[in-house]
Amino acid sequence: SSHEHKLNFKKSKEVCLSYIQDAMLQKQWKRAAEFLTFYVESLEKDYSREHIGPSEMIWRIGTEILCRHSHSSMREFNCFIEQMKTLGIKRYLKICLEHVFHLLCNGQIDEAYQNLSLTESWRFGDQTAIQDKEMKLIQAYRGLLDYYSWSKQKNILLEHSLDGFADLSVEQEMHSCFRKAAVNLKEIVKIPGVWDLFVKCYVDLLEFYGDHNEARQVLNEYAYNSKFPANPNAHVYLYQFLKRQGESKKSLVSALKILHDIVPSHELMIDFNTMLQKSKKRKKHRLGLEVIFAVLDYAGWKENIKAWSCLARQVKQIVISEKHLSWIKQEWNCRKDWWPAFHFSRYLAKRNWQENKSLSYEKALVAGILLGKDCKYFKYVSHQGRKAQVKRFRMLKKFVNKHNPVYLRISS
Amino acid sequence: MEFPAALFPSYFGAGPPREEGGPAPAAGWGEHGQVLEDGSDLGRRQAQPAFVPRRGGTGEMWEPAEAAAVPVLPPGAGCWIPSPAPQDILYRNSRYRKLRPGKSGATLDFAKQLGHFFLDHPEDAFGSMGRLLHKNFYLGNSKLKVSVSLGISLLSPTIPLAASTSALSSLQRPARNSTIRMTALMEDIDRLEARRGCQQQHLASRLRWFSHLCRDWLFEVPLGLLADCLHEELMLQWSELLFDDSVTGGALAWLPPRDTGSCIGCLVHPGGQAMNQLYFQDMVLEELPRARGSPAQFELSGRIRQVAAAQVDEEDFVGVRSDYHCGVWRVPGRTGAAPTPLQVIHTDVPASCLTVSPHLPGELAVCTQSGTIYLWNIEIGLQQLRHDTQTMFFRDHSPWRWSDFTAHPRVLSCADRTGLQCLDARAPRKCHFDLFKVGEEAGCQQGERVVLPMYLGRAHPAQYLVTTQFSVYVLDERLPLVPMLKWAHMMKAPPLFAQLVPGNFGRSHKVLLGASRTQELLLLQYRGDTYWGSQSACQLAGAPQKLHSIAGCLQHLPTQLPHRHHLLQQRLGAPAAGGPLGLGKEEEEDGEEQTFYLSNLEVIINEEEEEENAGTPAPLEEAELPQESCASSQPTPAVPSPAAALRYRRWLRTLCRACKEPPQHTSSPGLSQRRLFTRRDLEGPAGPSALQRQVRQWLHQVMQEGGRIQRWEPLALQPPALPRPLEPAGGLDPLSTRLTAAWSGDWEQWWEERTSFSMAQRQRVLRERRQRQKRARGRQSLSASFTSSLTYQSELSELSDAAPPLLSSGHPPVLSQESSPPASSPLPSSPAASPAPDEALLSSQSLRRRGIPKERRKTLRDYLSVWAEGPPDPPELPGSQASQLCIPSSQSQLSSASQTRRKRPRMGF
Repeated sequence: SSHEHKLNFKKSKEVCLSYIQDAMLQKQWKRAAEFLTFYVESLEKDYSREHIGPSEMIWRIGTEILCRHSHSSMREFNCFIEQMKTLGIKRYLKICLEHVFHLLCNGQIDEAYQNLSLTESWRFGDQTAIQDKEMKLIQAYRGLLDYYSWSKQKNILLEHSLDGFADLSVEQEMHSCFRKAAVNLKEIVKIPGVWDLFVKCYVDLLEFYGDHNEARQVLNEYAYNSKFPANPNAHVYLYQFLKRQGESKKSLVSALKILHDIVPSHELMIDFNTMLQKSKKRKKHRLGLEVIFAVLDYAGWKENIKAWSCLARQVKQIVISEKHLSWIKQEWNCRKDWWPAFHFSRYLAKRNWQENKSLSYEKALVAGILLGKDCKYFKYVSHQGRKAQVKRFRMLKKFVNKHNPVYLRISS
Repeated sequence: MEFPAALFPSYFGAGPPREEGGPAPAAGWGEHGQVLEDGSDLGRRQAQPAFVPRRGGTGEMWEPAEAAAVPVLPPGAGCWIPSPAPQDILYRNSRYRKLRPGKSGATLDFAKQLGHFFLDHPEDAFGSMGRLLHKNFYLGNSKLKVSVSLGISLLSPTIPLAASTSALSSLQRPARNSTIRMTALMEDIDRLEARRGCQQQHLASRLRWFSHLCRDWLFEVPLGLLADCLHEELMLQWSELLFDDSVTGGALAWLPPRDTGSCIGCLVHPGGQAMNQLYFQDMVLEELPRARGSPAQFELSGRIRQVAAAQVDEEDFVGVRSDYHCGVWRVPGRTGAAPTPLQVIHTDVPASCLTVSPHLPGELAVCTQSGTIYLWNIEIGLQQLRHDTQTMFFRDHSPWRWSDFTAHPRVLSCADRTGLQCLDARAPRKCHFDLFKVGEEAGCQQGERVVLPMYLGRAHPAQYLVTTQFSVYVLDERLPLVPMLKWAHMMKAPPLFAQLVPGNFGRSHKVLLGASRTQELLLLQYRGDTYWGSQSACQLAGAPQKLHSIAGCLQHLPTQLPHRHHLLQQRLGAPAAGGPLGLGKEEEEDGEEQTFYLSNLEVIINEEEEEENAGTPAPLEEAELPQESCASSQPTPAVPSPAAALRYRRWLRTLCRACKEPPQHTSSPGLSQRRLFTRRDLEGPAGPSALQRQVRQWLHQVMQEGGRIQRWEPLALQPPALPRPLEPAGGLDPLSTRLTAAWSGDWEQWWEERTSFSMAQRQRVLRERRQRQKRARGRQSLSASFTSSLTYQSELSELSDAAPPLLSSGHPPVLSQESSPPASSPLPSSPAASPAPDEALLSSQSLRRRGIPKERRKTLRDYLSVWAEGPPDPPELPGSQASQLCIPSSQSQLSSASQTRRKRPRMGF
């Protein structure tokens, strides 16, 4: 009966698909391709209501095979995709976008641009929400490519202007590229998302044409709009922009303070700490200590000599001046139960000494002050330093011995 | 710890997932996702920008070195019973056959299981009533008028109502007015069975009135309660069959070689019959890894669910989770040093997670199913971080919780099925942030749930892996909620195991994903920003790759007899309980050829079949090491290498030796009656009888003389030949009988029967055995109810300490017994005629066996008292008896808000 036939057909489709899947997962691309030619028949009677239909599956599998198979050419790939575009009409935009990605990754920027322009004019029925998103992305990528050609022309122009020529046509073309890029990029950065690439390009454009207010607004929006994810890069871009603009220390500090609150382990925290150290205000110094302690809480910073020397310097300053010992005490209080095992174990002393003597010097100084001269880390390092007869380790020992009462005050 | 300078573009939305869908077969293929300008060579200076895709870039080439998985460890001992299959639990009806399990249409075969109970435990079900009534029920075929004669009760095993242990009682007295004939009723029942599945079922009126009449008083255990418990148990079994999350994380850990030059690592895995032995096995990583020396072994008081390990300061800390206990071991840095147990905690609610801190020595995270998360420091003790029975982001019924460490040693992640949060252990209530949410933020699908989160600290200190049943996500805790990487993994079962092989020095990181039930193994490669090197965003590198599953080695094993083959198939196809593990890598730059080395390894643990008796340990363990050593220029071999073939043969030989007697009914795990009898019973006659001696002597003489045997002296006897597989000339039995017996593995038994000389004696022995069997059956607890097809996976070994394992069986194999022949006939297939005693079983088990009957009675009493008292709380286990055998030192109790035990229906406990 026809029902049975339908069932059998469905079953053989499934079996065929599982063979394809199996072959692909074992990188047997040729075998997978052979099975795929059979699977194409499944298009004939497509009763499925699955959310990925056979046409999309063929597109996905075919693309993967053509990308992976060593003997496939770009021409074949383009040919296949063109067919798929007509076949999978519902996912037309997605297929186009992926095609563009493939072209971009293979360095065919011009073809990609053509494709994007073509796709942009495509209309089919009512646009769904997904299609809307995809269309926006297509426009954004076109804007991005426009930006690249703008920057290319800008470079040509800059070179030429050095020579004394001013090519008017190039300049005009450059401006038209700018307009095209700016329109599309402006649109995408308004929508909540991660648009690092687009934002950077857009800001670059704006800055070149001197529209600093717009640039600042875009960056502020990108960093501080709560609808956007808490992207550390947004803050970094803003900070870099402010720095380029020669903004006051205060605004730089406040930008970095927010970054510190979001990502205490960010690499800019070292800069932040240095900046705070240079300040004359007591409050800033206090914040600097907090920042550097927080950085060293993270496993990724464990063996970072820059961070350790920042901490060592600041701690040393405080100890020498004997002011603000309470700051250290405060920071140390919530760390004293786990920092010794995390940073100052005997094993680490050994390893640090073997791998990086400067690191072990900085750490030993901090350990000596925070944990006293009897701590394992300090003892090991100063012992080794004495054996190796290095002068600064002798100084270190002297310093720690002299300031041992500090330890007592901190730990009390 | 630099953050990538630019991330791949993506939309960000909030709220519940919008995308509909489900498992899609090809969803992971053919996408680049997004592209990003290649940051590594700062393309500005070039004429054209270079782009890199988020997915679809090139990765390392890995080729399998062997044709299939190769076992590394010998198979575990003990007879093995397959785990319940859907067809054991589901109602098989032509109407439902089309429905796949998991669809809502699956119907549990409740009636069949209840039937199993009545048949297997007549004494428990109808004991006293049966005893009272058996005189009044007549089951013969003849008319009642005839005075009833002896021998009726011999029919007993088929008819529960008459299954009384009382000796043949005199039914001589005129029974007419007080006896009814039940034969017709039995016939009706049989007919009903035959009509099963028929659309127009109408019960025979006789059956209806009988059930109407007896329902209230006939059953020893109230039918409603029994049915409730059974139904609950069935539901539990079914949900466990669909998805068993107790093994999340995997019970297999690898402690890598300490020194860079060394190639000796340590494999930590569970074993033993109840999976309650912990082994630390040294392994030598050669071309084919092999075990070195004998393993350090610890006996635990519960089935091991998870083994987690982490290395801190060159010392390995191994955490072991069973349902109600978590323990931690330390393995010192130097090679060959013995692992030392450090501490154990006892939980009131089953623990669902145990992870070991990669930052601080002796620190672990524990989660229980009551929604509590603890930070466990072996010096300080337990610190409760959170207690919340509700899930975090939306309501989900699953009590599963997970916790892992993050880049900050004081910040722990905690997960349930709806997402992940990070909490600061110093102020868990105030300081927390959402790391992952099943929702639009990560572009999830509807119905998507977190299956396994894992901290990827060894690859990058801020990265996190989250797997769901549809996709894998790589997250960066510095940018929460937005996945750095997302890929639809297309696995058939949710990935419960994951393992990271960090790729240092610019190489890609490898993630191995493993599923339990389907044994799938998937190798993914990704590139993230390395520590201080280039700072590119996360990309998936290369195509995902399937690795050999354990069952795949079946075709490379030596050819087996069909029943053996079937057995092996089941055994190798059993759900994995741990792995995969990336063992290690070696890189050899040898001219143009690059050789990589990666092994993955899993322990197959047959999902435990506890026979319902208090702890008849049956499961077994075997470790297999399918090895993937890869050379980019070599094609996949089609046949295993000689070394692998040798491994296969050796493994198989050990396996055959371990289970010498293949189960008599491989499809339905029956219970052998062997262990019901004492050693003496099984030994048979103490030596050759006088007759045998005489014959032997005579034979000897003839042989010496070189004479010929013309004719046997005692005609009635068969030649007492040696049990060599030679057919005695002119065999009295038909050849087919013997072949059948040999085929089904009962050959020895058949031989014994043939050689036993006296028919009368055999009958007598049989009768005795049958009586003993009946008595023993009476002792069995309720829990032994759903014999073959139903088991329950709980704390077998917790009980096994308290109550030594009962004889694996008191039962004839399931329903087939219905048609077992009357005792008077010779019993070629009766399990009572036992094969030769198994030395190992008798020696180790017979000792433990003694306490049992008492214990069983106690359990039964406990059970009965529960329903007598009123509404059934899940009865308490004698938890205190669940002793720790290995773990010394401080035992701290987890204080938990809810004191209730695991809410599992405990039939009979």
